[in-house]
Order: sequence, then C-alpha cells, then structure tokens
Amino acid sequence: MIRLEGVEKSFGKVVALSGISFEVPDGQITGLLGPNGAGKTTALRVVYGVLRPDSGRALVDGVDLSLDRLGAQRRLGVFPHAQGLYARLTAREHILYFGRIHGLSGDALRRRADELIGALGMEDIADRRTEGFSQGQRVKVALARAMVHDPRNIVLDEPTNGLDVAATRQVRTLLRQLREQGRCILFSSHVMQEVSALCDHLVVIARGAVVAEGSPDELRRRTGKESLEDALVASIGSEEGLA
Amino acid sequence: MSWLASLWTVLGKELHEGLRDRKALVTALFFPALGPALVVVMLFLVSDSTRQADEKGVEIPVAGREYAPNLVALLEQGARVVDAPADPVEAVRRGDVPVVIVIPPDFGARLRAGEPAPVRLILDESRHQARPAASTAERLLAAWSHQVAAQRLMVRGIHPEVIEPLAVEREDVSTPASRAAMLLATIPFFLVMAMFTGGMPIAIDVTAGERERESLEPLFAAPVPRSAMVLAKIVASALFGAATLAETLIGFGLVPLAVPATRIGFSVQLDPKLLLTTFLLCLPIVFAAAALMVLFAARARTFRAAQTSLSLLMLVPSLPGMALAFQSARPAAWLYSVPFLGQQMIVNELIRGSPLVPSQAFLATGTSVIAGLVVFALAARIFERGQPLFDG
Repeated sequence: MIRLEGVEKSFGKVVALSGISFEVPDGQITGLLGPNGAGKTTALRVVYGVLRPDSGRALVDGVDLSLDRLGAQRRLGVFPHAQGLYARLTAREHILYFGRIHGLSGDALRRRADELIGALGMEDIADRRTEGFSQGQRVKVALARAMVHDPRNIVLDEPTNGLDVAATRQVRTLLRQLREQGRCILFSSHVMQEVSALCDHLVVIARGAVVAEGSPDELRRRTGKESLEDALVASIGSEEGLA
Repeated sequence: MSWLASLWTVLGKELHEGLRDRKALVTALFFPALGPALVVVMLFLVSDSTRQADEKGVEIPVAGREYAPNLVALLEQGARVVDAPADPVEAVRRGDVPVVIVIPPDFGARLRAGEPAPVRLILDESRHQARPAASTAERLLAAWSHQVAAQRLMVRGIHPEVIEPLAVEREDVSTPASRAAMLLATIPFFLVMAMFTGGMPIAIDVTAGERERESLEPLFAAPVPRSAMVLAKIVASALFGAATLAETLIGFGLVPLAVPATRIGFSVQLDPKLLLTTFLLCLPIVFAAAALMVLFAARARTFRAAQTSLSLLMLVPSLPGMALAFQSARPAAWLYSVPFLGQQMIVNELIRGSPLVPSQAFLATGTSVIAGLVVFALAARIFERGQPLFDG
C-alpha cells in the first residue's frame, strides 16, 4: 500500500505539487491520470524516493520515506520516468545487478533472472548488450529489473510510452497478472484509453492537485457522464494535454 | 543490504562496465607511455648536446683572424677556432653556426693607437643550443681584453689589481647528471597527470554520462545509500587512476634501460623500491583526484561540460609539479602539507637521491587523506540531495 499525505513540492517559483493526498490500495491497479505537466512524474518521484517533498510525506506499506528511504525503496519495484540502460551491460546483467542491490545472490538470483527473462519473453536478447535495443526491448529490461526482488508495491511512470500495440498489450497483461497476485500497482498515464482499460481505481490530478478520485463507476456517477472519458475531461476541466 | 554490500555491488558494476569501455581502456593503456617517452627523448637530446661540448670543445668561427693573431691565440686556448662562413649574420640566424666573431681590418691599428679595438660578436640569444658557444666566446674576449688592459697598466707602473676590486671565482657544479636530474624533475608532473587522466573517463561516465543516458534515476530509486553509491563511483575512477599511475611508474622505471648510463654520464636512480614507495605515497592523492573529478563531473550540466571542466581541473594540482623542475631552492616546510604539491616535492627529492623524510611523508599523506574525505563528503551530500539527477 502506498499513501501520500499533503505532499508539496516546488522547483524555484514553480509549484509542482500543491499538497496532494491519495491512497493506493493493494490488489488493485491505480491509475494516476493527468495532462502533461500536471505533476504526475513529480508525485511518483516522491513515492520512489528520488525527490524529497517540501512538506507532507509519502509512505510505502507504512514506511515513511523521509524517515527510512531505503526501507521504503526495498518494498518498491520502480519503473522510473528516466529508464536508461547501461549500454555496455547485457539485459541479464541489468537484472542481476539490481537483484544484488536488493540483496539477492547466488542460485536464487540466477533462477529469478531466468524466470523474469522467460516471463517477459526476452530469451533472444537476454545476453546481448543493451546498446541498440528497440524501445520495446528496453522497456522489458526496465520492467525486469524493477521486478527482480518480487516487490509488493510497483510504481510505473508511463510504462507504455513509445511502445507498439503488441508490446503495450504485453505490459497490460503483466500488470493484470501482478494485480491477481494481490500487489499494489500505481502507474501514471496521460492516455485515457489505457486508464479506462486497466484501472480499478483512479487518481486524477491537474496543476499539482488531486481533482478527482475513485473507481471508474464512482467517477461516472459523480460527474453524471455516460463514458469514463467524458467524466475525466469534466473533472479536469479541459482536454488539453490528454490523449 | 548493508552499506558495505551496497558499496561492493555498485563498485563491481562500475568496474565491470568500465572494463568494457574502450575509451577508458585506451586512455589507461596508452597515456602512461607518454611521460617516459618524452623524458627518454629529452635525455637523448641533453646527452647529445653536452657530449658534443665535452668531446670536441666549443667551436668558434672567426672572420678576419689574420688581423688579430694574439687574440686568436688566446681564443684557441679555450675553443677551436675555425673560419667563419661567408655571410656570418645569415649563418647565425639560420643556426648553421652558434656564434661568429668578426675582426675588422683596422683592429691592429686601433689597438696600437690605444683606442677601443672593435670586435663584432654575432649571436642569437633565442637559440638555446648556441648558448655554450656564445658564452665561451664572450668569456674569452673579456679575458683577452682584461689581459691587454693589465699589460697597459703595468707599462704605466700601475698594478693591475687596481682595476680588480672583485676576485670572482666561477665554479660550475652542474654535471651532466644534475642537468639530466632537472629533466627527471618533470616526473612528478607526469605522475599527477597520469592519475587524473586514467580516472577521468570513468569519473565522467558514471556521473554526467549516466545522467545523459538517463540510467542514474533507476539507481537513485533503488535502496542504495547515496554515500555508498558515490564512494563506489569514486573508487572505480581511482582504481583506473591508480592503474594508470602504476603503468606510468613502470614506464619511468624502464627509462634507464632505454638510455644507457654511459651515454648520459650518470645512472638514473629509478629502482623498483623507489617506484613502489612513490606509488604508495601517491595513493591518497589518487583517491582525492578521483573524488574531485566525480564531484565536478556530477555538477557539470553535460558530458562535454564535464570533460572541459575536468581537463582544466587537473592542471591545477599538476602544474606546481612542473614548476619544481625549474626551482632548486629548499621549499618551505609547510608546503609539504599541500595535497598533490607535497607528494610531488617528496617524489622529486627521492628521484634526486635523497632519502625519504618520514615526517614529510606523514604530513603529506595526512592532509591528502583528509582532503580526499572532505571532497567525498561534499559529493555524498549532493548525491544525497539527488542533485546529480536533476540540476546538474
């Protein structure tokens, strides 16, 4: 479970988050939806511990990031905004490296790497250096390294960005599998279709504030709109920056 | 995972990747050849010019030698007098001959009349090679002039000592060995360059390079203590710097094999024990250099900006070593406490054959270790704030 409590963050004079609070329950896929520049990436960066909020706090399974960053990060699988790879390491070496960071070693780590390579269908690229990988291949490596320690909570920043249809479907299937396993999944998107196809729970943010929250049904009911898309546009107040 | 385990994991990955970095490897493998190769070439040049001077004596071309047989006789005591080329000024300018003395036809008449007898000394001050011949010529002319003046005074019943208020005794204690030692004093400069140059590709790659390739954020999102992360990056860079330093030292150790002692008139003292002492003495500044580079590269906006700032950065601690080659006065004791400079001064003295002074070594090591830790702490602080990720 992930929780944000009154998180504020400014960069100079620009207010990125003006006190947002929401909760991400276990066993559900929660979508963080908002137009470009709404503060999605900043909010996720606070959750996975690379940005410190000016005030408020973020908790992962009850562990406060400002008190025990490493403890919270151990409970997280992160597919960050910037997910560059090490050009001179192979896909498998990426998985092994992040496994070691999370304290795995030996046969257990090797078996886990094989398992992920199989699950993501990346046997053909596992032992190639990642230089020159396609966007789809890069995303698979980034997903595998995020999942290596079998985290209870998973945070993904626009995971389907730049993927073709087949790869996008694969990512969605993976997210559904993770939900079936009872994990807590938080992902951001500015693509309404994706959100409506996947999410059990929605957090809609605009200009650094939460403007709506709830299940798709609740949002439709509250705004009185037939389709979820109309409901979302109505909550944000504009279509700008959405897709 | 413990702090130490994090350090090992990140260090292992940085080295793993670094050893696959062709640019870093080429730098680490080839830069060390540069310093020793330059010193060998310069030793050959020095030994050639001194040998010429020693064996043949200085050659002084003289035009109009028939007008001043006495003067020529004295010149011949200190040099080999040869005929001057047809156009003496042009010949000196081109560097065909180091110097030419031109004696005009009226030399004898002016001398007998007791007037200053004109002699032209043609030389090129900008030519280093010509200096021994030119100064010999000047010295011999002055000696002859002095001799004639003394004779004139004696004829008039005055003791020549009257015009000799000073009795200057010139003693040149330089030997071929000490002249070559000046060259060897450039070694500390090359050593500092080696540790910076060897560690630089890694220092930039693991900071500004990673930010540009966007691979820093996943690591920042992972449960790695930032201080362990930054120390791993510094140590990876320092190991490449230390390897480059070791290779450079071995290269200097081979210099005596390339330049036989008989050729330069002395044996270069660069035995394995001296090289090992130097290596150990330099380890604290290898770490400090790597920490400085990681700190600066982490703050640079781009990969290129990091390259530029690090190239300038490494001149600051290496240049004082270059200055050592040109100074011979005894340095002030506190200078040994300046990181980089202290080590360079100690190494310089070791090469000149002085024994290691433990108090100087402790002082230099202590301040350098502290400086390295302070820079590490600064770098850890900016990593803790996540600065390398966002503002550069």
